[in-house]
Amino acid sequence: MKKLVGILLLGLIMIFATACSNSSTGNKENGGKFEPKKAIEITAPAGAGGGWDTTARMAAKIFNDEKIINQNIGVVNKPGGGGAVGWAYIHSQKDPYHLFVASPPLLLVPLNGQSKYDYKDFTPIANLIADYGAFVVRADAKWNNLNDLFEDMKKDPSSITVVGASSPGSMDHIQFVKVAKAAGVDIKKIKYVSDQDGGALTDLLNGSADVYSTGIAESVEQVKAGKVKVLGITADKRLEGDVISDFPTAKEQGIDATFVNWRGFFGPPNMDPAALKYYEQKFKELNDSKAWADIRMKNGWNEYFMGHDEYIKFLDQENKSMKALLDELGLAK
Amino acid sequence: MFKFKNQKIALVLFLFSLFYLIMSFNLPRYPYVPVDSNFVPIGLGFILMGLSVGLYFVKDKPMNVKDKMNNKIPKQDLFVLLTVTFMVIVYISLIEVLGFILSTAIFVFICSWFLGYKKHVLNLLVSFIFPVAVYYLFTVGLQVQLPKGILPF
Amino acid sequence: MDAIHGLLTGFQVALSIQGLLFVFIGVAVGTIIGMIPGLGPITAIAVMIPITYGMSPAIALLLMAGVYYGAAYGGSASSILLNAPGVSESVATTFDGYPLAKQGKAGKALAVAAIGSFIGGTISIILLTFLAPFLSKIAISFGPPEYFALMLLGLTALASLSDGSTIKSLISATIGFMFATVGIDAQTGTPRFTFGNIHLLQGIDFLIIALGLFALAEVASLILNRNEKAIDQSKIGSLKLTKKEYKEVAGTIGRQSLLGFLIGVLPGAGGTIASFLAYLSEKRLSKHPEEFGKGSLRGVAAPETANNAASSGAFVPLLSLGIPGSGSTAVMLGALIVLGVQPGPLLVNEHPDIFWGVIASMYIGNIILLILNLPLIPYISKVLKISKPLLISLIIVFCIIGVYGVSFNVFDLYLLIGFGILGFVMRLIDFPAAPFILAFILGGMMEQSLRQSLTISNGSISIFFTSPVALVFIILSFLSFLIPVIQIIRRNNRANSAISKGA
Repeated sequence: MKKLVGILLLGLIMIFATACSNSSTGNKENGGKFEPKKAIEITAPAGAGGGWDTTARMAAKIFNDEKIINQNIGVVNKPGGGGAVGWAYIHSQKDPYHLFVASPPLLLVPLNGQSKYDYKDFTPIANLIADYGAFVVRADAKWNNLNDLFEDMKKDPSSITVVGASSPGSMDHIQFVKVAKAAGVDIKKIKYVSDQDGGALTDLLNGSADVYSTGIAESVEQVKAGKVKVLGITADKRLEGDVISDFPTAKEQGIDATFVNWRGFFGPPNMDPAALKYYEQKFKELNDSKAWADIRMKNGWNEYFMGHDEYIKFLDQENKSMKALLDELGLAK
Repeated sequence: MFKFKNQKIALVLFLFSLFYLIMSFNLPRYPYVPVDSNFVPIGLGFILMGLSVGLYFVKDKPMNVKDKMNNKIPKQDLFVLLTVTFMVIVYISLIEVLGFILSTAIFVFICSWFLGYKKHVLNLLVSFIFPVAVYYLFTVGLQVQLPKGILPF
Repeated sequence: MDAIHGLLTGFQVALSIQGLLFVFIGVAVGTIIGMIPGLGPITAIAVMIPITYGMSPAIALLLMAGVYYGAAYGGSASSILLNAPGVSESVATTFDGYPLAKQGKAGKALAVAAIGSFIGGTISIILLTFLAPFLSKIAISFGPPEYFALMLLGLTALASLSDGSTIKSLISATIGFMFATVGIDAQTGTPRFTFGNIHLLQGIDFLIIALGLFALAEVASLILNRNEKAIDQSKIGSLKLTKKEYKEVAGTIGRQSLLGFLIGVLPGAGGTIASFLAYLSEKRLSKHPEEFGKGSLRGVAAPETANNAASSGAFVPLLSLGIPGSGSTAVMLGALIVLGVQPGPLLVNEHPDIFWGVIASMYIGNIILLILNLPLIPYISKVLKISKPLLISLIIVFCIIGVYGVSFNVFDLYLLIGFGILGFVMRLIDFPAAPFILAFILGGMMEQSLRQSLTISNGSISIFFTSPVALVFIILSFLSFLIPVIQIIRRNNRANSAISKGA
């Protein structure tokens, strides 16, 4: 009996091994043109249900539904380390069938010394969407614009608490710091509290905190209900949309700072140029499709397309300005 | 001095709290908050240290008869436990190499066999149907990817 | 009377054939997903989002509500039958649920869990229906100092969780708390105790500890006793409760429906804390606290009622304020947004059909949950009749899937084995695991709210005494810590004097 099972197993393994080697030799490129020959995997370096996960799953769905890419696309979650675990996983991949979704943490987490891989270790393919930061206060707060707020912060920084959903050195913190610095506030004196699990908005509403640094989408409903007001957003110019178009930018208030919460797709290190070209083209098609425009609207995402070359320049610039802020705070490693 | 069980445990806990405290004191400082990230760990370290000293002086309770497994594990059982632990570790290390289906099938079959499951045919059936069913429930039904491994499908 | 009118419109949608069908599917799928460790309401809802894409919002919501309830209930089955809590909400259920299963009363335990969940869920939906606007004021009144005080109350109550040695429970709790400090600290961004390992940066997932300390440690005991005959195989599936037992759990279910709901209303507190506080408070109230932990039906009824009541309570801040109070309601919020519904203070007025549709679907979801699950209990309990060697291998695989399905990496699996070994060693040397996991969950939140409070107050501890709510909780914590300690000292004195007299 034992022997029989052993032989059976061995046989099975051999069959699979040969089957497997066949499929891996089958995807050599010919003549500079790339066409995917097997299923594509998009990694969301976070758990189910978050922003990265939703973007990846929606993109995969539209790619397949609209027949933009005819190979099956699966989404894999690799949570941990604020993305570092997922990036390490992608870094170990050699073939152009592993993409991942990224946003500013890909810059911030490595700068904070928490990932040994940064954006330069991967191949940026295309950026798709953007969100912007919003600085929100209670409707009855004494400040009516960012300059009022920052004047008070300069006078008595210990009296104003800023709350965000993530730890110092990450997005909610840095977007506020960036704008405050441009307004001349001493960023080392900003009192920042991080409250995960939906507590941040509560803290603002019940008076525990004074300013809530968040995304635009999170603040719209509360503004409509008259509970809070948005002092400023980090976009370059005003955005379109019901209520949203009323949100003043920091720029128009004379504070020369923006912060883009960009979201796009990357490939493994040194991606084959033909494959890169292929994916760049496909993401462009995705971006232009009606189905994707629909998704964008439903989720409150703004269109922000950048192809490979433009993306790299953008990332270099963003990284430089993030690094300068983190250096000043002493957070950069 | 460390004759009784509680005294030995107390020693281990004391050393652990010492280790934890040293690490806590070495945590990097963050200058912008009134209470830094080492505050609670240092407190916990000292509490554990205090408790371990307290435990040193607590007399061992006589063992209940019904907790006889708690008292001493026969050598043979210890061997079984260690072997199963070893099998689980091998299983884990192979899960991303061979894939979920294959590694699980092999593990379930061998582990059940080793623990004395006599119905080999049923065992073989369960060992293959269970992982296949779970795999498809997850990857197709729930869109949660399990390691595919070397299987071509 | 707006509420009643709205509710009736909601029921019109929910009671259509299509509506009922989707609630039914949702509950069934949710229950199955919930039974798998690691997959709770969060995954269940996240999985449903792409499926509901393109459905009419009302029907999609029915499906979601079904999945949400099903998943919340399904978690209790693996806790009771296998000592493998799949989500943090059902950890407290293992304390008495598993001992009951070992005594051959798995059916009863599951029945109590189902009834408790049903009543807890239903009572809190009724409260939600009529009191949502009022309760939303309570929901936002909790800031960091209040949370700190609430967590403190939970932690100090754990002294009563021990029936053996108090010092050992305290040591367990301290070490559990220590593990909660692993990972990036939210207030400073400092990585703590990670040894440079990226897998530890986000801390240790609760699931790894729960499955290791409870399920795998139990597997080790099963291995040692694998040749012993299980007791009373025939009765495992019976769900008949005696009149006395009904009476016993009735009060518990009533009380914990209310408590669970109120805690669920607080954003960030949620089902886990509700279930722990429910368990601890019932033990306090009981005339026979020594039965808790050894197979008390009240010990199952309390956490199960409270966590379901809390999961409905969590809809108060979500629907009336647009604030998701927990991980699962946050995903629910995402699902609603994709369906074109933006929860917030304006939802009731702008989309009354949806607001009331959600609430009506919750009523129906709960009823279908009960109808679907009670007849299934005898079959689910049959798990225990699987031959032990096979069951052992399958539980191990089950735990591994649970962890892998959340973290997707092998490192966490090794960690799981580590905690399994720790759990087994703790059993050998008589250290209880319950305070460990309680302190792990509550401790992490307590530390954060403590330091948030102190940052807000610029380091002054007066912040805890100027808030009346926080002050009340802090006083209660002191009392709940001191009273059992005094009792123990008295008991020891009496015992000692008895011994010395005897000698």
